[in-house]
Amino acid sequence: MEPDAQLVQLCLRGDGPAWEELVRRHARRVYGLCYRFTGNRASAEDLSQEVFLRVYRTLASYQSGQGAFSTWLTSVSRNLLIDHYRRMRRDRLTDSIEDAMPHLEAKHSPGRTPESLAQASELSAQLQQGLARLSPELREAVILRDLQGLEYNEIQVVLQVPEGTVKSRINRGRIELARILDQMGMRPA
Amino acid sequence: MDWNCAFTEERLSDFLDGALAPAERAALSAHAAQCEGCGQTVARVGAMVRGLRELAPVEEPPYLVAKILRGTLGARASERTWERWLGWLLEIGQPRFAMGVATVAVCLAIVLHVAAPRMKNVKAADLHPVNVLRATNRQAHLTYARGVKFVNDLRVVYEIQSRFASQPEPAASPAPGPESNPTTVEPRDRSQSRPRPGNRDSRFGDLVVTTSHSERMSNTWTRSLS
Repeated sequence: MEPDAQLVQLCLRGDGPAWEELVRRHARRVYGLCYRFTGNRASAEDLSQEVFLRVYRTLASYQSGQGAFSTWLTSVSRNLLIDHYRRMRRDRLTDSIEDAMPHLEAKHSPGRTPESLAQASELSAQLQQGLARLSPELREAVILRDLQGLEYNEIQVVLQVPEGTVKSRINRGRIELARILDQMGMRPA
Repeated sequence: MDWNCAFTEERLSDFLDGALAPAERAALSAHAAQCEGCGQTVARVGAMVRGLRELAPVEEPPYLVAKILRGTLGARASERTWERWLGWLLEIGQPRFAMGVATVAVCLAIVLHVAAPRMKNVKAADLHPVNVLRATNRQAHLTYARGVKFVNDLRVVYEIQSRFASQPEPAASPAPGPESNPTTVEPRDRSQSRPRPGNRDSRFGDLVVTTSHSERMSNTWTRSLS
């Protein structure tokens, strides 16, 4: 499998299949980030398309020496998410980001029973509700760290804030989210 | 090491991420074992972080990649037909599309309820072209007659309002004589208020004539059409 930087170079030479491979490789990650941040599947879908459209147009500005392609992609996604959040806040719709239908996203491994799948789905929906109640600053920090699995230095690049701020936001976000989930009567095992 | 609750809260993420120095780690663990509040916080946040990390990544919709590629590279000849159809089918299953369809359906239902003929009363003879034409013609004339009547009624109301508005205010102590009688209203233009048949009230002579005329016209229309 070719590394992302090589695929980017091929894309810049007009290689369609290379772009397709890049999209297939990162679509889930981008969609997951958008969904976790907005809590809405339709918005996440629109935003994912917008992210890739912007990436396609500005691909030449990516420099592999400055970091991994996935980090750059996350930065682009995050900027669009913040724009989206501000738009929503202006429209006074920020509070209604709970999705009516929780997305079934449990791992479909054969060893899992229907009960455990249902539990995982319920857990996911409750976590999503808890995330929606966090402030956007804390929410994005927790999502990037605990759901997207980014390292502190990568989050620092994405958020464009010092490492101390990243750590502080993650710490406060986790404690606040745990408190919210506790208030909701949810206690992860 | 002298550890307290504020330190625990401040360094909790470092503790959970394994980024604390061994001495600090031991101090935090010892404090959490003694302090009930800190012990609960560490356990609760730790369990939540584990839960978040064990969550499977959210699966993107199956047509998302195709839509992104269509939006960036344009429609591809190599794209399989079933993928395109699947994309459309899944797209129309979206809540916003369903809401749009529901709105259109409700509007159509209202329009049909008002405008469409009652299907229960329809007989076989009604479907004959001559009868259909006659019924349509009748409906059109009825609608026109109702419209005329409505406009005439509006005119009557407007004229009544105008007459009342043009009436002078009654004086507190009316002086005798025809000039000072507040109940007597002189027509503004006598040439337009000549007596006509059906004029039962000198004050609203024009009105009565207009009303009876419009009613007669509407009734004539309705009778002739029915």
